[in-house]
Amino acid sequence: MPRPALRSRTLRRVKKRLPGGAFIIHYLKRRPSPARCAVCGKKLHGVPRAKPSIIRRISKSKKAPSRPYGGNLCSSCAREKVKEKVR
Amino acid sequence: MFEVGRVCLKTAGREAGKYCVIVKKMDESFVMVTGPKSLTRVKRRRCNINHLEPLTERIKIKSDASDGEVLKAYKEDSVFARLGLEKPKKAKKAEPEKPKEKKVKEVKVKKEKKVKHKKEEKKVKKPEKKKVKEKKAKKPEKRAKKKK
Repeated sequence: MPRPALRSRTLRRVKKRLPGGAFIIHYLKRRPSPARCAVCGKKLHGVPRAKPSIIRRISKSKKAPSRPYGGNLCSSCAREKVKEKVR
Repeated sequence: MFEVGRVCLKTAGREAGKYCVIVKKMDESFVMVTGPKSLTRVKRRRCNINHLEPLTERIKIKSDASDGEVLKAYKEDSVFARLGLEKPKKAKKAEPEKPKEKKVKEVKVKKEKKVKHKKEEKKVKKPEKKKVKEKKAKKPEKRAKKKK
């Protein structure tokens, strides 16, 4: 049995294979999935990948790029979205 | 395409989606640009051509023209209407001042109330802390008795 703190399901369990062939369980913290572009699905840069409790501590300018559609669209998709205004 | 006086749309950075005018050519890839800031909120700054989308509109200005001259050219050319821009407003100072004064008074009253509450809370809290200290002091005595 693992120690009591590791028995809770708040931790993620990952099976690791040792060189001898035996398996070990590693206990890792859960992380939210990275933010993705709403159009193309790429991972967004400049958006922290952390729990909401930590994101609440961060200043506003560190949560997302300050450009329009920042934190929602990737830079290339945002550029095309902006150009639609002219066409 | 990127001559002096060409109206462009900025497509990258915090000013993306805002209109600007080319004021000066720096070199092959860079250009000096202004909104002007009072009109479209685009600061007078150097800009890469790759980050601009040129429009069909053009304004008659000299190279290296000041923001005031660009504004004048805007008015004469009536580009305002075509781009859907509003002319820079001079702030209406007379009307909004009156409600502000009222708000300030209300806030002051609220602050005073809060201060009173805090004082009361402090008075209540202090005796509790003393009790806790006394309890802590008693505990070690009991343990000592058990050991004996």
